[in-house]
Amino acid sequence: MKPLFRAKSISVKLTWLNLLVTGTALLLACLSFLVYDFLSYRDNLIENLLAEAQIAGTNSITALIFNDQQAAQATLDGLRNSPDVVRAILITQSGRIFAEYNRPGTAEQMDLPRMDLHATQSEWTHGSQVLVSYRVVFSGRPVGVVYIQAHFGELGHRVRRYGMIAALILLFCMGAAVLATAAFRRLVTRPIIALAETARVISREKDFSVRASTAADQDEIAVLVEAFNEMLGEIQNRDYALQESRAMLEKRVQERTAELQAANRELEAFSYSVAHDLRGPLDTIGNASYLLRNTDLSNLDGQARELLELLPRTTKRMSALIDDLLNLSRAKSAPLHKEPIDLSALAAAIMQDLAMGDPERQVEVLVSPPRTNVIADQGLMRIVLYNLLCNAWKYTSKATSAHIEFGSMQADGETVFFVRDNGAGFDPRFQDRLFQPFQRLHAQSEFSGTGIGLATVYRIIVRHGGRIWAESELEHGATFFFTLP
Amino acid sequence: MSTRPRSKTRTPVRLFCALLGMLAAGPDPQAQRPSEYDVEAAYLYNFGKFVRWSPDASSNQKTFDICILGQDPFGNALDRVINGDQIEGRAIRERTLARASDAAGCAIVYIADSEEKTLRRTIAILGGKGQLLVSTLPHFLEQGGMIQFVIDEDRVRFAVNLDTVANSGLSVSSELLKVAVKVVGKPREGLLP
Repeated sequence: MKPLFRAKSISVKLTWLNLLVTGTALLLACLSFLVYDFLSYRDNLIENLLAEAQIAGTNSITALIFNDQQAAQATLDGLRNSPDVVRAILITQSGRIFAEYNRPGTAEQMDLPRMDLHATQSEWTHGSQVLVSYRVVFSGRPVGVVYIQAHFGELGHRVRRYGMIAALILLFCMGAAVLATAAFRRLVTRPIIALAETARVISREKDFSVRASTAADQDEIAVLVEAFNEMLGEIQNRDYALQESRAMLEKRVQERTAELQAANRELEAFSYSVAHDLRGPLDTIGNASYLLRNTDLSNLDGQARELLELLPRTTKRMSALIDDLLNLSRAKSAPLHKEPIDLSALAAAIMQDLAMGDPERQVEVLVSPPRTNVIADQGLMRIVLYNLLCNAWKYTSKATSAHIEFGSMQADGETVFFVRDNGAGFDPRFQDRLFQPFQRLHAQSEFSGTGIGLATVYRIIVRHGGRIWAESELEHGATFFFTLP
Repeated sequence: MSTRPRSKTRTPVRLFCALLGMLAAGPDPQAQRPSEYDVEAAYLYNFGKFVRWSPDASSNQKTFDICILGQDPFGNALDRVINGDQIEGRAIRERTLARASDAAGCAIVYIADSEEKTLRRTIAILGGKGQLLVSTLPHFLEQGGMIQFVIDEDRVRFAVNLDTVANSGLSVSSELLKVAVKVVGKPREGLLP
């Protein structure tokens, strides 16, 4: 039974259910009919046999009384016309067999049981054989007994006939069940199948505008379809509202972004122009102070000379500041020209420049690995490495044996580059201020700087889609890490 | 049909009638066949039940008399058969007659073998009076008798003369005729039961 009810379609299940119910009912009906028929057939047979025994007995009265066996034989022979009778025996009151009829080809002969003394008739059954007896009485006196044996000859035939009828009806019922299933399909399963198909389409295509077709009926399926459609409508409404709010949000974001970009551009243009415009007067001041130093300053007193000495130094610092500002501005806005570059070679070249610029210092430099290929903007990466290496050079200036290393390592599936030194380091508490412009962790008197270099580095790395961070301890050197995608 | 060689040995009375009370059981090999006289006594008694009696002849009688004319061959066999039975509401009684003229009131008259010599006269006296005349004597029917016992294949049978029965105002049941070994004469219309 189990696979039957695992069928995927409701209509198949209904068909099977139909057949099962009708088949069972029919089988039971046939069985009960058969039993009833058998019982009534048996009763009829016995009744007929008793009647025949009575007639034969009555007709044999004179034969018994006047000892005419031929007449009795003739009477019994008359039973050959009863198809069920296989044997008939007339017994005298003394127990002698007076006459006997045996149907030719009869198989089984039942023993003749003793009749009850007071009974006028009796019946016995044994398997398919039935035996009846009738006491022949004449004017109040028993004169003999008639026994008639018969068999339920038709029984097997009847069972076969019933079986055939049942099979025919079952066949008919199967046809009817199939037809009924067709009707079911139209009435019940087709709307459900349509509903299921709609649900399948919706879950596959995510199209909530589809609606299940409603039936004209007002049954539970129609209610189901209606509820389903209402649900779909609700989903669609929410979907629509969601899309609308998302579109609105996006529009707002675009507006804000545009506003911010405009403000940013303005700001950059402003800072660029400021830096650029500052350079003009600064050059003039620088040139003037240069000219002043080359003239005779003997008539000036020591303090005035000292002030005059201050001028080119300050001018130089301001020039560096303006350079850095311009670099920062460029890092923010200049378009990226990505190309394969060798960071190791770049770092080595920068270190060489630095060493040449300050030949008195003894610095141990390590660049490894020998080749490091990345895709990045060469000019900007030069600024990055320059700033980082220059910082390292600067903050190791007070160390007894300076050590600077550029390298790379693998961590979490990506390449991390680092610049390590054994210089002054910084206080890790102020780490979050490290990459913000104009934030300095060391006094100008200790280490000179503009506070813009690391902000520029940070900006360039972020523009390349990478990350940058640093680890350090005061007086124990610092390591700057960065990644490039 | 043959006239019998009459057996003189009287079987000790293992009577047919005694067996009437027995159950219908399997054949008893010990049961002895009843004698001819036993059988004839039973027949005589049973004839009374298959004959329609003329109302005028016997309605005034209180008893149904089975009479034996001459030397009674039955002993008490007939009494055993009768056993207090009745026919048409009248008690059956056995009478023996010395002379044919004593036969008034008899329903059945059995003419014994001893009457062979006076048979013709006896029949002349008794015939046509509504009495059933029965005998074992040969040529009984031809001489005006009504029912004659005969031995057929070692069994007691009987023959009927319908003409003499009808002349006596009686009629014999067709059931009886069915088992008769021989029927002479013609059946009368309307007289058959």
